[in-house]
Amino acid sequence: MPGVGLISPPPHHDIYSIEDLAQLIHDLKNANPRARIHVKLVAEVGVGTVAAGVSKAHSDVVLISGHDGGTGASPLTSIKHGGIPWELGLAETQQVLVLNNLRDRIVVQVDGQMKTGRDVLIAALLGAEEYGFSTAPLVVMGCIMMRVCHLNTCPVGIATQDPELRKRFTGGPEFVTNFFRYVAEEVREYMAQLGFRSIDEMIGRVDCLDLRPAVSHWKAKGLDYSQILHQPDVPPTVARRCVRAQDHGLQKALDNMLIARCAEAILHRKPVELSLPIRNVNRTVGTMMGYEITSRHGGEGLPDDTITIHFTGSAGQSFGAFVPRGVTFTLEGDANDYWGKGLSGGKLSVFPPRESTFVPEENIIIGNVALYGATSGEAYVRGLAGERFAVRNSGAYTVVEGVGDHGCEYMTGGRVVVLGPTGRNFAAGMSGGIAYVLDLAGDFRRRCNLGMVDLEPLDQAEDIRLVRDLITRHTACTKSDYAARILGDWIAMQPRFVKIMPKDYKRVLLAEARARAEGRPPTFAELVGATSG
Amino acid sequence: MGKVTGFLEIKRKGPPRRPVEERIRDWKEVYLPFPEPEMQKQGARCMDCGIPFCHQGCPLGNIVPDWNDLVYRDQWRDAIDRLHATNNFPEWTGRLCPAPCEGACVLGINDDPVTIKQIEQSIIEHAFEAGWVEATPPAVRTGKRVAIIGSGPAGLAAAAQLNAAGHWVTVFERDDRIGGLLRYGIPEFKMEKRFLDRRLQIMEKEGIAFRTNAHVGVSVPVDELRSEFGAIVLAGGACWPRDLQVPGRELRGIHFAMEYLTLQNKRCEGDSVPDDTFITAHGKRVVIIGGGDTGADCLGTVHRQGAHSVHQFELLPRPPDERARDNPWPQWPNIFRVSSAHEEGGARVYSVSTQRFTGDAEGRVEQLHAAQVEMVHKAGRLDFTPIPGSEFTLDVDLVLLAMGFLGPERPGMLTDLGVKLTERGNVWRDLNWMTSVPGVFACGDMQRGQSLIVWAIAEGRSAARGVDQYLMGVSELPAPLP
Repeated sequence: MPGVGLISPPPHHDIYSIEDLAQLIHDLKNANPRARIHVKLVAEVGVGTVAAGVSKAHSDVVLISGHDGGTGASPLTSIKHGGIPWELGLAETQQVLVLNNLRDRIVVQVDGQMKTGRDVLIAALLGAEEYGFSTAPLVVMGCIMMRVCHLNTCPVGIATQDPELRKRFTGGPEFVTNFFRYVAEEVREYMAQLGFRSIDEMIGRVDCLDLRPAVSHWKAKGLDYSQILHQPDVPPTVARRCVRAQDHGLQKALDNMLIARCAEAILHRKPVELSLPIRNVNRTVGTMMGYEITSRHGGEGLPDDTITIHFTGSAGQSFGAFVPRGVTFTLEGDANDYWGKGLSGGKLSVFPPRESTFVPEENIIIGNVALYGATSGEAYVRGLAGERFAVRNSGAYTVVEGVGDHGCEYMTGGRVVVLGPTGRNFAAGMSGGIAYVLDLAGDFRRRCNLGMVDLEPLDQAEDIRLVRDLITRHTACTKSDYAARILGDWIAMQPRFVKIMPKDYKRVLLAEARARAEGRPPTFAELVGATSG
Repeated sequence: MGKVTGFLEIKRKGPPRRPVEERIRDWKEVYLPFPEPEMQKQGARCMDCGIPFCHQGCPLGNIVPDWNDLVYRDQWRDAIDRLHATNNFPEWTGRLCPAPCEGACVLGINDDPVTIKQIEQSIIEHAFEAGWVEATPPAVRTGKRVAIIGSGPAGLAAAAQLNAAGHWVTVFERDDRIGGLLRYGIPEFKMEKRFLDRRLQIMEKEGIAFRTNAHVGVSVPVDELRSEFGAIVLAGGACWPRDLQVPGRELRGIHFAMEYLTLQNKRCEGDSVPDDTFITAHGKRVVIIGGGDTGADCLGTVHRQGAHSVHQFELLPRPPDERARDNPWPQWPNIFRVSSAHEEGGARVYSVSTQRFTGDAEGRVEQLHAAQVEMVHKAGRLDFTPIPGSEFTLDVDLVLLAMGFLGPERPGMLTDLGVKLTERGNVWRDLNWMTSVPGVFACGDMQRGQSLIVWAIAEGRSAARGVDQYLMGVSELPAPLP
């Protein structure tokens, strides 16, 4: 959103362990079974151990990224001190993967200032089968390393969308193909010298690397390369390169059955309604079906409620992740972590079994990181959510009856209504969207991170209408008598709501509204909040 | 840095030249003053490149983006300090340098480069006007004595640097005035000699001794220098002109460019040169052979002397208007240029080779016989073959040979010193700028072969470091060249 600061690097609050990563890989594979899932690791000491975990977590490719770098908004410490040379990270990765017999199922890719065919050759011998180039082809295209990519003044028209600047671009795709032809030719020449007929034969052949010419230089005296050039002592049956695909276990997914039974809806938009039991071994339910829908109908999805499925039981992780518009899931029971992760237009609701005896608004019904990175859609939770609720939400509308720590962290859009207590650090880094919290205990201010947000009363007609509307829908979807009581006692409840409003976001909304009223586009100065000139 | 979007908003603009009709009637410089606020806007065009190629384009390593920015920000005092840090004589390069920095300017990839040379000149002129350029004699003298032979830009740069390092410097010049080619080669309309004298006065105040009419190897014996000075710097230039060895070359009315230019420059200095030794183009049909900078200097002088007609011959074909594919940025652009002298008139004839001259009964040149040639690349060399049937004849009264220089003059000083020469005939030097004779150093055209003023200054500065190191064991002088 123009005028609102960008937080970089993006925090990955859905990955705190290798198990979290495995789940993310599984979710992404479900979201697009035809895609290869990559995990990019910064080359550093210990990267081999992480790579072993990544291989166990069923990533199709691991990328060892060396040297420096980062986005234009990255902190300098990350850019300059994140990585070590790719050779070191790659050697360690290859050795650990081979030693643990995990190399056969994963492709190793390497990048970080690769420039020549010799780089490719060394990377292959150290154990990589794919090689990433970026700076060199950029320069070939005409980049002159002005280091103004963040200023929108690229004088050769590369790092810009400005049509005037783009006119100055004089590069051509043939320059890049030519460059890579030279790189390939150089690789071929080296291969001929070494007697290799294919890249596959070369992968991991560190015994072919010689370092005598380097050692003769005075700077190399005393350097010990034996650990980099070490060939793990493993039986010949252990593969040194990728020879088989990862088993993602997709054939066991509940979605195969959902896709079959909803075929009429997916193919012909005919409404389908099902009732199904669910168990916590059913992970990432609805995501592969979502892929079938979006691959046919695009981001628009299907008309609302085309597919309605009523689940009963205890859902596994990532229930309803990434489901698109047209899909409505109700869940009578409870759910694990990542409920509604990346929600993309679908509608979710969860409520306790009708026969349960506990007080729903006092008990946790879904796990951590629910609605993480949701982009659109609706979600209603009859009961409490765990920690990190709606982190990085950018567009979903949701009602929940209480959340744990770090709710709405790094949120950039959407609306969140919390009808009960929150944990600490609410709204940390929240740069957009609006949250409304019913602060019955009167201590919310203490729990909220006020770094980027202001607390306001709920007194604007527009806000009141929205909150009441959302609570009404929540009541309808979840049969929450707690919510019904709040609506019934609205006069007393409304003053106890707190509106959590990001500061920059508010300024931009006001500037846009003002410009709209005057029938003109908002100016840049208005958006960024410049006071003069 | 300069204005971030300056290069998008402001077009390249330089000072206008005076009208041709007006300027060919005097010897004053051709450019009109350029208002400082306009100059500051030109400074704003600098992009403060991540990798500023102007640094590499300039042999002096001038820190161009820094002073462009300072000019834009109206900080002229800092700008001259930054400029003087790398260039002893910006008022000369600002007028005479062909500006390889501008050829390397990143903006030149797809736009007109920054007016670096003009900005340089305005910084130094601003500084002189403000009284910031003063004599700064060294605080401490080392007691060492250095002789510098040749007072062109290389010798003067070495002198300024060595004097600043505390040595007693004496500059020997065989001519009657200090300056070398700057004095008698460069016509007044390109640089008025008062800008040379202005700097020389400051250098004298700083303690540098100048000895004119001192022809080392002729009127000053080499041995005398060897015994009196701790080190000698050879900066005598490359004054041996390339001759045109064709029948009729011996006829009267055919002169080397430097003979011709020197005489006019002496007159501009106020010397009385008798008419019978003076070479004038007045009322004559003139042919200048050689299409380079010296040829253009002759051309401007010929115009001012009032020639009947003038042709300038060039062996090479006409360069393209824009860079050829094999001449990409940041190389020096080999393109068609129109100097002030070309603007003033005369015909430029390309791909032409003079075959012979014929004269009258008194031995005066009467006709020039030439042919069009075709340029062919043969075994890594350029070859020029006459096109049959293209021969032509031109009536001519004065022929000026501006075909470049072959190297330093060998008889006299170089032979007496016994310094080793390179295959090309230049003085050989080691990585410390010392010749094969210990304590004797070389710089400028004498060791490089004919080149630009900016190379001469860079060489003088670098050799000065070598001398300082030789005399003192260590040196803190900067060396722009290895």
